[in-house]
Amino acid sequence: MNPRTRRILEFVLDNLVWFMLLFVLAIFSAFVPNYFQLGIFANIIEASSVLGVMSIGLALVIIAGHMDLSVESVAALAAMAVGILFCSAGIGYGYQIHPEWLMVPVSIAVALAVGGIIGLFNGYLIVKAKMNAFIITLASYIWVRGLVLAISGGRSAQDLAPAIRWFGIQRLLGLPLTAWIAIGCFVVFSLIMAKTPFGRHLVMIGGNETATFRAGIRVTRNLILAFVLAGAIAGLSGWLLAVRTSGATANLGIGLLFNAFAAVVIGGVSLKGGVGSLPGVYAGVLLLSAINTAINLMGLPANFTQVIHGLLVLAAVMLDTFKQTIRQRLA
Amino acid sequence: MKRILLSIFGILALAFATLTPAFAQSKGTVYYLVPTLLDEFQTGSVSALEMFLKQVGYEMKTLNADNKTDAQQSQMNDVIALKPAAIILAAVDFNALKPSVESARAAGIPVVEFDRPITSTKSDFTSVAGTVEIGHVAADSAEKLLKEKNGAVKGKILQVLGDPGDPYTLDIQKGFEEKMKAFPDVKIISLPAMQWEASNAGTIVSDQLQANPDIDLIFSHAAHLSVAAVASLESAGKKPGDIMLMSSNGAPVGLDLIRKGWLNVEVEQPLYAQAAAVAMLMDKIVNKQEIKPGEYDVIGLKGVVTNEEWGPNLKVPGAAIDKSNVDDPKFWGNQKPPTDKIKSVE
Repeated sequence: MNPRTRRILEFVLDNLVWFMLLFVLAIFSAFVPNYFQLGIFANIIEASSVLGVMSIGLALVIIAGHMDLSVESVAALAAMAVGILFCSAGIGYGYQIHPEWLMVPVSIAVALAVGGIIGLFNGYLIVKAKMNAFIITLASYIWVRGLVLAISGGRSAQDLAPAIRWFGIQRLLGLPLTAWIAIGCFVVFSLIMAKTPFGRHLVMIGGNETATFRAGIRVTRNLILAFVLAGAIAGLSGWLLAVRTSGATANLGIGLLFNAFAAVVIGGVSLKGGVGSLPGVYAGVLLLSAINTAINLMGLPANFTQVIHGLLVLAAVMLDTFKQTIRQRLA
Repeated sequence: MKRILLSIFGILALAFATLTPAFAQSKGTVYYLVPTLLDEFQTGSVSALEMFLKQVGYEMKTLNADNKTDAQQSQMNDVIALKPAAIILAAVDFNALKPSVESARAAGIPVVEFDRPITSTKSDFTSVAGTVEIGHVAADSAEKLLKEKNGAVKGKILQVLGDPGDPYTLDIQKGFEEKMKAFPDVKIISLPAMQWEASNAGTIVSDQLQANPDIDLIFSHAAHLSVAAVASLESAGKKPGDIMLMSSNGAPVGLDLIRKGWLNVEVEQPLYAQAAAVAMLMDKIVNKQEIKPGEYDVIGLKGVVTNEEWGPNLKVPGAAIDKSNVDDPKFWGNQKPPTDKIKSVE
């Protein structure tokens, strides 16, 4: 194989998930009625905003060689906290802050704080107390969802304050501001991962924790920070969820965790840690959203949609595995 | 020290003494096996059943199955071992609980089916609004709304189901579609909001607005799904009334949307009446007395008991709520429980 062909092949492999996305979009545009239109593409980006932001936090801890199963419940708790404080109907207290725009930073701070505290709790038990990440975050997944139910009493909060809801309605270049927030998060965290010592250290810790420690890098601090960030980012995705649905219900966000895992894996992040990039994760999120939208438009019988969704995700992951095989042969 | 201990024991004894008469007055404990608490109708049913059963002298304890059939089966086994006065079951899966119902009845414990009928085996009493019938009431409302808008019963309906694994939503769909079959000019697009999750419903509405901008009516199978549908309509620049909306179960959020002009019709399940009927007949159920077929006045609504293959079945019809009657306190979504105490049926 000559160097030019090799370079092209490596470029394709590095960005395979983006090519998969383009391929899927082309196929759906050709065969699914009404799919090929700007409005639908805007919907795909909009619908992926919550999942996208949640996947960033999950990807950080997976790249660092751990996992966080609590992100879905944390997002629900953050959404419920924002809903209870700033919704005016249902169980919402409808707190007003003047000037009104102040409600935006305050509500975001609440969501980030809720997520950050749970992330710190998880991180402390996993990193300091050396407890298993799977068990600790699974426990958090359960108790945090229970807390959502307990504080809401199973009821919902609606009518989010217009100043906050504004982010779900206003559009810039055809996309709602919530989608721009998600894109912004991907840009910022991609830069953090690629250009800062913290990002590079996370990748190193995920690759070989002991060697990283021996190289004098503060593994404990970085890992706890990764869990805090995962929690806070999940909190932000909860805020986006509340904005998107104009409130919060006790079952809000259910099922997002598995989609987030699927997106992260499709995006090329290794579950063993040490490998992965956030732009790939965003492509994975968009791919899932594109598949979801196609299913919505195809009008398939309700009973079959989950089967089709699962099979399409499986196909995407298998393609990704195929990519790894080719890469090994190239090496 | 002795004095302090004696005082503590004295206070405890006094507390127990005051509690004992309360227990003595209770006719027994009834267990309510609720399918989930992530739904306002279900949480409402817990408080309504508890309130009405207390009025007729029963204590109620609730177990939540978190929408898991196997968890509810285990709960049934546990409760049977406790030998309560009766079990009220709102089954996660209408038929998977059949063996558990049979075991409970074989152990001499009466079983009441609440809201979700099990028709494959006998129960001691069933109190339902009828999920298929909710679909029928929704279809009647859709017929009326389309006729008013288009001059004839024609147009496009987006039906947002709940989770496709939940028989509750499938029964509503069945009732709705079997009645709408009479109108061939109505196209129904049905899509499920997985796990009854609101943002899934919002995504469906956003996508369908792009693919089918000529949708006349959106029918969501739960009021909280309509909240997300409204959020998507708002994001798409729609105003109240641009697209007609309808949902079912009568939750407070649905009534709020009617007041704001977004929702045209909410098909309510008569939660208070369904719960009151169970309590009114609990003495007969516990004492295994005959529940005579016929009409019963259930907190002002007409409930009809019929003898079915699966036992005595009381049906209280659901009502269509719109702007004209949205403030009626009889609707559970207004959260004004009846103040008059109910009495056991003699």
